[in-house]
Amino acid sequence: MEQVVATIFNVLILSSMYILVALGFAFLFNMLGILNLAHGAVYMVGGYIGFALINSAGVNPWVAILIATLIMAGFGVVLERFCFRPFTGDFNRIVMVGVGINVVLQTAVNALLGTRMQALPSFFDGYLRFGVVSVSYQRITIFLIGAALLVLVSWFVRRTKHGQQMQAISQDIEGAALSGINVHRVSALACAIGSGMAALAGCLMGSYLMLSPYMGDLMLIKALVLVILAGIGSIGGIFVTGLILGGLDAVAPVIFDGAVADAIPYIVVVVVLLLRPRGFFGREA
Amino acid sequence: MALLETRGVTVHYGKSLAVEDVSLRVEEGDVVSIIGANGAGKSTLLRALMGLKPVTDGEIFFGDEKIDGMRTNEIVKRGLILVPEGRRLFPYLSVLTNLRLGASLVEDKDEIEKTLKDVYRLFPRLKERRNQKAGTLSGGEQQMVAIGRGLMGKPKLLCMDEPSLGLAPIVVEAVGEAIKDINGKGVTVLLVEQNVHLALEVASSCYALQVGRVVMSGDMDTMRSSDVVKKAYLGG
Amino acid sequence: MNALSRFAADKTRSAGYGILVVAVILLGVIPLLMESLYSLHILVMVFFYVIAALSLRAIVISGQFPLGHAAFMGVGAYASGMAAKWLHLPPELTIPGAAVFTMIIGVMVAVSFSRLRALYYAMGSLFLGVAIIQILNAGGTWTGGYSGFSGITPMFGNSKVSWYYAALGLMILSAAALYRFEFSRIGTNMKAISQSHLVAESVGINEAKYRILAVAIGSFFVGLAGAGYAHYMGTIATSSYNFMATMWLFMYVLVGGVNNFFGPIVGSFILILIPEYFRSLKTYSPFISAGILFLFVYLMPGGFAGLIQAAVARVKSWRRERARDVAAD
Ligand SMILES: Nc1ncnc2c1ncn2[C@@H]1O[C@H](COP(=O)(O)OP(=O)(O)OP(=O)(O)O)[C@@H](O)[C@H]1O
Ligand SMILES: [Mg+2]
Repeated sequence: MEQVVATIFNVLILSSMYILVALGFAFLFNMLGILNLAHGAVYMVGGYIGFALINSAGVNPWVAILIATLIMAGFGVVLERFCFRPFTGDFNRIVMVGVGINVVLQTAVNALLGTRMQALPSFFDGYLRFGVVSVSYQRITIFLIGAALLVLVSWFVRRTKHGQQMQAISQDIEGAALSGINVHRVSALACAIGSGMAALAGCLMGSYLMLSPYMGDLMLIKALVLVILAGIGSIGGIFVTGLILGGLDAVAPVIFDGAVADAIPYIVVVVVLLLRPRGFFGREA
Repeated sequence: MALLETRGVTVHYGKSLAVEDVSLRVEEGDVVSIIGANGAGKSTLLRALMGLKPVTDGEIFFGDEKIDGMRTNEIVKRGLILVPEGRRLFPYLSVLTNLRLGASLVEDKDEIEKTLKDVYRLFPRLKERRNQKAGTLSGGEQQMVAIGRGLMGKPKLLCMDEPSLGLAPIVVEAVGEAIKDINGKGVTVLLVEQNVHLALEVASSCYALQVGRVVMSGDMDTMRSSDVVKKAYLGG
Repeated sequence: MNALSRFAADKTRSAGYGILVVAVILLGVIPLLMESLYSLHILVMVFFYVIAALSLRAIVISGQFPLGHAAFMGVGAYASGMAAKWLHLPPELTIPGAAVFTMIIGVMVAVSFSRLRALYYAMGSLFLGVAIIQILNAGGTWTGGYSGFSGITPMFGNSKVSWYYAALGLMILSAAALYRFEFSRIGTNMKAISQSHLVAESVGINEAKYRILAVAIGSFFVGLAGAGYAHYMGTIATSSYNFMATMWLFMYVLVGGVNNFFGPIVGSFILILIPEYFRSLKTYSPFISAGILFLFVYLMPGGFAGLIQAAVARVKSWRRERARDVAAD
């Protein structure tokens, strides 16, 4: 029982974190076809900024997370403006820039803080108990924040003017420009929101698991899995694929030995892609 | 002063020439049409007006402002709006959202609601279909959304690229009526058409484009009696 | 005029051959001039990575982007390393065997992926690459798990100089083979297909066949590079073949210039040797690699080859102008 509840929480937490990061990636990918290979590094740096603020500057954890999110959102604007916008449509150069930024961020964190694994302190002590079952408040909080943010983001994308403009750009970029939408500004906004969400996920994951300068590489791949399996253009599908991948990642270690458990999700992903060559909810004809 | 004026506009795709030295004027309140065969460069010219395609030479003036080199959203803001070839709707968004997005640059909420009412009056069908996804509409309905979306941006000059393409004669008729109606409300119209009958019916003057160049221009009577137009478009 | 321009083209081509011959001779005499075994070691590494980068190019020119290509280098490395270590087979046998094995795996994957469109193929390859790495990680004592294994049968009595010439020879042979392939009828058709599907349809070329062929050739050579590299190093670990490793192979191709056969060669030299030169910076040295990438992205969009082409074009137009001036006089 204890194990079951713990696993359910692992599924929920991993899924919501994967979805947070993947959504940010999907925004730029769907709107402008940009493969942002720096997205994983943004997630990682977000976690480290939170860590540094709490551990070295003694900032309140909540404030630290907020600051980390805002800083990386700002970084997202810079990224869009100077690294992606000049090369719109030039796939090769966008990939090169992404790798470059990735290397710079990883190296910077490495040089400043070392490769030692670190963890953000937990924000809440104690356990919530239901009879024999207990769950740490920390985990509950992480999940609640993640879930709340996902609700907020879906509301933003579906209901607000800027969110609808983002959708318009991904459905027909020229039609969007002709409607008077400032494609560059909305892209910058999307990149800011996406980077902020990634940074926040980095902080939350940093307190749930561990921080490492290379944790972004793996997260980037997971984001890609979510986006591709959902099908290009589908935002809602990412929630489904996020739950699937989070489920695989959380359940596999319960059944299989460590390294085998790591392999299983990717084997499943490859098989799914072969069966559904356009993902689950792909819009592309 | 003309509302829109191009001076010697030339546009290339890579090295191939699509529009060559086109100068035209659109006076405020007019309906001006551009006719020409497939590949004559009509759409390219409109794309250049909207800043979607840079001009290689020449100048474009809207009112007293030079607009070539401006970004598309800035041009739209000035009241030059294009209903593009192929409609370019947002297929997975509702008709209503498509229309509202057309008003992206309009700040005044009441104004937007008022224009929306006007659009619904012009195309009552859209009101019925307002919650349907635009991609699931019929071709004619999609064209209505495209025109409606253009109107939502409060155009001074509305350019339309072959609005009659692929529509049944009766729907073409309706589009023609809509154009007259729009013009009646004080919006200047620049109409690109292959359907010369439609162009002749609604326009007051006309330019004929052939392989990128203006080969003829004048008011509708001159065009109607012109041998070139007769031979090329009216079947004798 | 026609004869003149052909003469000019011949001249640039022979200049190209000249540079090539000089480069090969230079590489040939380096061990005689250099005492530092460490430098030789780095160059051996570069040679193997040149083969890997060229093999990537063979697939890229067919319009496919195998984002898991480095994992196939790992397949070659592990296949040869394991066969030599556990089955006690001679490396002379396991290295070509591993290359063929990698090719077979590559073809199987290409056939199953042939239904996927370019972007999904790229992603499928990426996820498959991760799966391969994770399977190797899960291989227990056979593969040594996450930390890999060492004690792979050495060759040439571990003499650096012998290895140097062997790797150089292997690189030149591979490059020659891939060059022949790229400029053969098949290679030319393949490039045409990658430019436009319409071409393929109008010429009636079976696209899938060409794409699979490209993957077969690319997999063979990357397997070869991986296997050779494994025996040279004597030790392997999966971290050398992960997604980022693939990205670096791509960077070698792009920095060298994607539109030129020699791009991957030059790119590998630039991106391995220059950061190596700054290795005293220790933790900071990756900044150099990133710096090179930014330099090329912002200032030399066509890669190194683009730079050379621009220079050649400028010299040519200058010459043409001069010829015209002379004629006018
Ligand atoms: N993206 C492009 N790349 C290259 N050439 C193009 C492109 N778009 C149009 N052209 C060429 O430019 C010329 C003019 O095309 P354009 O679309 O402006 O013609 P049009 O008059 O609108 O024709 P239609 O009536 O068929 O719509 C054509 O020869 C066309 O092939
Ligand atoms: Mg057209």
